[in-house]
Amino acid sequence: MKLNRLIKYSYPAFVYLFLYFPILIIVVFSFNDTSRSLVWKGFTTQWYTELFRDTNLLSVTGHSLIIGVLAATIATAIGTIAAVSLFRYRFWGKKLLHGLLFVMIVTPEIVMGIALLLLYSALDLPLGFWSLLLAHITLCIPFVTITVYSRITTLDKAIFEAARDLGATDFTIFSKIIIPLLSPSIIAGWLLSFTLSLDDVITSYFVSGPSFSILPLKVYAMVRLGIKPEINALCTLLLILTLLIVISAQFALYKNSGKKHAKK
Amino acid sequence: MLKNKLAKKFLVLSLLYLSFVFLSPAVLAQANILNVYVWTAYLPQDVVKQFRKETGIRVNISEYDSNETMYAKIKASPDAGYDIIFPSNYFIHRMRKQNMLHVIDKDKLPNLQYINPNLLRKPFDPNNEFSIPYLCSITGIVVNTDYLDSKNITSWQDLWQERFHDKLLVLDDMREVFSIALLTLGYSINDTNPDHIKEAYLKLKTLLPNVKIFNSDVEQNIYIDEDAIVGMGWNGDINLSLAENPKLKFIYPKEGFVMSIDCLAITKNAPHLENAYKFINFLMRPDIAKKISQEIGYPSPNLAAIKLLPKEMQDNPLLNPSSELLKRGQLQDATDEVLPLYEKYWEKLKIGE
Repeated sequence: MKLNRLIKYSYPAFVYLFLYFPILIIVVFSFNDTSRSLVWKGFTTQWYTELFRDTNLLSVTGHSLIIGVLAATIATAIGTIAAVSLFRYRFWGKKLLHGLLFVMIVTPEIVMGIALLLLYSALDLPLGFWSLLLAHITLCIPFVTITVYSRITTLDKAIFEAARDLGATDFTIFSKIIIPLLSPSIIAGWLLSFTLSLDDVITSYFVSGPSFSILPLKVYAMVRLGIKPEINALCTLLLILTLLIVISAQFALYKNSGKKHAKK
Repeated sequence: MLKNKLAKKFLVLSLLYLSFVFLSPAVLAQANILNVYVWTAYLPQDVVKQFRKETGIRVNISEYDSNETMYAKIKASPDAGYDIIFPSNYFIHRMRKQNMLHVIDKDKLPNLQYINPNLLRKPFDPNNEFSIPYLCSITGIVVNTDYLDSKNITSWQDLWQERFHDKLLVLDDMREVFSIALLTLGYSINDTNPDHIKEAYLKLKTLLPNVKIFNSDVEQNIYIDEDAIVGMGWNGDINLSLAENPKLKFIYPKEGFVMSIDCLAITKNAPHLENAYKFINFLMRPDIAKKISQEIGYPSPNLAAIKLLPKEMQDNPLLNPSSELLKRGQLQDATDEVLPLYEKYWEKLKIGE
């Protein structure tokens, strides 16, 4: 009996330790009072003040957030539409398209990066904001589509037929039935895209230009030449930001489902 | 379906339209900007801000972590729009050979007069047609004087002493490591004779028992935290580390050492040439060069800037190595033809064979 309990509690404990311990270290070390050491030397908030004085780092972070939000939003819109059309309509090449989405997910990013770079130089698209945004949208679409599609297949097709019987137009079905039912997976897809965009190094390296640099590239370069505690501070702030987004998303979903139950 | 298709088409078209209208190369070229591609934390922000204040030119900074990263980026997209890059000497050689650099018009750089003539006209760019020295770095021996007496350590050969068993930090850099063996054997660091390289490999094999760690990413942290107390290091890194651990001592080895000159260069297709010249000239202004050297911690090639440094910094051989010292420094060539041989031996060393 006792052993059972031990296993019961130690198993999740290990999982959490494994997942969150590295993150915890970064938070702790963002308060370490030394600029080049990895040994604890005392508490300071100096790195946070320094972070807010580092205009370059801040502007690069701003760039990344803009790209992340835009890419996630556009990719979520396109990906959701793609998932819905894969589910609802029959068209030529449907199976192929579905298969190709998986190919996009498993394609090594370096291939993607070079392919996009070649495409952009063939189109004479200057490397910068637009090339990055387009590349990130491309990266994110398959992830959104797969996330949304896996949810949509659990829906009962009879709902749509019933709606049609009652005189609903395609648009009404889409906006009043499909979207609300899919909202958890759409939000999940958005968050997934946002994260993907925020930490993409390889593709971004190829398609970024001099006028618009983004955070993952900067962090990568900084870490290679010695970790500065400023980076730890920045990571901590980003962690808090993502936590806030996830919590508010959960909260919105919870409220949403609460309403539905109330209506019943 | 129709709607979806239309929406998609609209989106793509509008994006394309916007990109062509607002970001066509012509529009970009007219703006009063300068695109700088530089090593991480190698260009102080104050300097960039001051440049903007004085000239009104906005500087876009992108950063890289190695010569290879920068080279690949410029090679893959030569029209990306980078104006100024900071390659090390042997990369200047390579990029010059591959026609990736712009020929510098020295008439536009009056401040070139301040640069130490000992650092100009080096073999990697005999007439400085393509490059201007920015900062110098030197690889030497680092000793923690708390644990070891630095008097008995004056040459690379001393690293082979038996008392250093499992103590050394060795830079994780093939050319640097082979250089110390070649130097102790009395050869040049650019020796291409395969027998000599093999000899160097055999020599390094006898150093392996003393090696505690191969690292060149966080070498400063390791010395500051005293995880290693003796080994190889770069002068500028150690110079800055002294603030955190004053027990560290940097030694210029007797046999000679690897010196590298990080340079300023203009890319072949630089869209903002005039601004690039203004920026390079600005960086060579003595007060600015002084600020850079002080903040980054590496020696400046700018003689007038060195004179402006506080007395104690002028006497600091880490920040201001004397010309006798500089004469012992050897510059790396891009010895491309023997690199495969180096790599073969390097792999063997790393697996301890």
